[in-house]
Amino acid sequence: MSLFKPTRRAFLKAGTAATALVGLAPAVLRQAAAQEADLSPYKSAKIDWQQTSGETITVAVIPASYFDNLIAIAPQFKTLTGIDVRFEKIPPAQIRQKSVIDLTSKTGIYATHAADPMYYSLYAANKWVEPLDSYVSNKSLTDADWFKFDDIIPAWRNADSIDGKLYGVPYDGEVTIQVYRKDLYDAKGLKPADDLATFVSNAAALNTPNDRVWGTALRGVAGAGQNMYIYPSIFREFGGQWFKGGKLTVNGPEAEAALAWYVELMHKSAPTAAANWNWPDIADAFSQGTLASYIDAHSSASVVNNPEKSKVIGKVAYARWPKGPSGKRVTSIWNWGFPINAALPEKKKKATWLFIQWAASAETQARTAHRFAGPTKRSGVNRTSIWRDPDYVKLMNGFGHNFVEATMESLQSDTDVDWRPRVPQWPAIGDTMATAIQSALSGQATVKAALDDAQRRVEPMMRG
Amino acid sequence: MTLKRVRLFVVMAIAAIFLLAWVFPIIWSLLNSLKTDQDVLAYPPKLMFSPTLEAYRDVLFGSAAILPNLISSFIISIGTTIITMLMAVPAAYALARLRFRGKRFAGFYVLATQMLPPVGIIIPYFLILRRIGWIDTYQGIILIYLSFSLPFAIWLLVSYFEDIPFEMEEAAYLDGATRLRTLWRVIIPQVRGGIAVTIVFVFLNAWNEFLFAVVLSGNTVRPVTVAMFNFVSVEQTLWAKLAAVSVLAMLPVVVLGIVAQKNIVKGLTVGAVKGGGRR
Repeated sequence: MSLFKPTRRAFLKAGTAATALVGLAPAVLRQAAAQEADLSPYKSAKIDWQQTSGETITVAVIPASYFDNLIAIAPQFKTLTGIDVRFEKIPPAQIRQKSVIDLTSKTGIYATHAADPMYYSLYAANKWVEPLDSYVSNKSLTDADWFKFDDIIPAWRNADSIDGKLYGVPYDGEVTIQVYRKDLYDAKGLKPADDLATFVSNAAALNTPNDRVWGTALRGVAGAGQNMYIYPSIFREFGGQWFKGGKLTVNGPEAEAALAWYVELMHKSAPTAAANWNWPDIADAFSQGTLASYIDAHSSASVVNNPEKSKVIGKVAYARWPKGPSGKRVTSIWNWGFPINAALPEKKKKATWLFIQWAASAETQARTAHRFAGPTKRSGVNRTSIWRDPDYVKLMNGFGHNFVEATMESLQSDTDVDWRPRVPQWPAIGDTMATAIQSALSGQATVKAALDDAQRRVEPMMRG
Repeated sequence: MTLKRVRLFVVMAIAAIFLLAWVFPIIWSLLNSLKTDQDVLAYPPKLMFSPTLEAYRDVLFGSAAILPNLISSFIISIGTTIITMLMAVPAAYALARLRFRGKRFAGFYVLATQMLPPVGIIIPYFLILRRIGWIDTYQGIILIYLSFSLPFAIWLLVSYFEDIPFEMEEAAYLDGATRLRTLWRVIIPQVRGGIAVTIVFVFLNAWNEFLFAVVLSGNTVRPVTVAMFNFVSVEQTLWAKLAAVSVLAMLPVVVLGIVAQKNIVKGLTVGAVKGGGRR
């Protein structure tokens, strides 16, 4: 247990919270690039890192601190391999659009990109990206003993695989967990919810809008990655199955019960505006002390612990998703992974694989996380071994009580690869579902009408 | 007199309500851009706070400086505007005045290009630019912007050219002026207002464009509309910086608007309200 002693002060002093999220000061970049320029941990791999020296590849990433850290140490990759990496930062919604255009037109602009795991079905169905198993098993490209692929968190590897074939290698990921105000819970003698019913009663008990504290908030704004990021967990916890007799089914009794729970919770215990909130809004509200709890990505811990903005530092604690009526806890299963663009020439594919192997390796993960010289440390590292590393655990537990345990248990026990329907038509289906959920949340449609309408819209998509 | 006053008061009050709704977001952005991140999130919203230029310093000279993006936007918008006007003025004149084969078809074709939903033509544009190696270049983006700014400008200008009495042109011809000289010396001074309006709209459209820019730009050419989006990250929204960039991005358009205001009002009145009126 000594590993999990909160060391918030040291942690905050190190300025680990999410400051300077968009880019880093040039001085920090130089410092980070120079740090640990020792390449011997990489050179112990029994492969020729220089085999595609002279190649140039373009990698699309999103603007986020975890990619900024990678970009900061990328000069080390150049020294190691002789491969030039050109990074392009593209906002999350547009990175999907741009990469799909690039892949569909086979122009091969992006050798790899930060990919949404829900897009692999589409990519694989069209053979736009390479199956990666042959790269993992190719001895001239990968030293299995050094890379330790199995050390990468299984839930995220599964999310990046379709029909047992690997299409992307997870770089950074997240799970959704309960985040709550321990001081408020303790004052009322409440415990973090173990089931959805208790989550509702906890939220109701702490909902005092007159004091500007609301019980909770979940993402309400429409979007495949917004309300359709939270709803699937509730749907699956209520016993919902996306496929009934091989047919995608988004309505029916479990769906109605799940959406009714979501709507009622938001109406009774969340600020009215939350129907239009995304997670940064929720984390900002929580950090200002106006929410008693929320369920969202574990990575939001860095925002609610940002010493420059937060008023609740030292009062935050974490727990796994509450169980649903089916007895299951279902968290999100999300990661930004790297696939290989199938339109590339062979040599570039190899260079891209070397980049992916480098980025996903335990050494680079550590260098961009707890061993990173800059101010932001990552909370989404892809390696089980790092999540057990005392230095990393110590740093992460600075976010508050039970952070590492809640995250790890969620990752190991609460994930479900069919958390969302993994079909090539996902982008359109995700949007349709998101609109239906929002129309129910905003009261424009009844739960049943919204879901039946979604079902009507989804069916032709699946036929097409 | 009293009734008149009441009426005036009611009209003013209604105007004030509308004005408030329109001005509020701008004032709000301006205030937020002068706050610290903590003050932005404060509740109740702080009207009295110690203003700081930190957000401006950061977005202009800091780690995520958008100065190069503002320059990109300027080059694209000015380039698009100049080329559009150089081509649109003679084209609009030709459509308004000359008689040539296929004139009606040409007019319709120009209009038809405006009817396509932009999202439907992104991929063809992307492929064309990729083929000629113009992705992420100024010439590439300006070329694509011309495809919608040019038809728009031509159609806007045609109505102004049609308003010029033909007799004026005839008088110039009688004095021995050539067609080009007539266009330059007689017609264009008459449609100054229309040209000013068109310039403002073309510049505005190019300056605010996002959809094509995000797909066709890259690290080399990245207009400010695309760059400012990066302040809305998956981790958090940097409100103060976002507000500061918005204010900075608004400035050139506001300045252009003020400079061209007199001509715009004149131009709009002539084109729209007076219809076929004479100046």
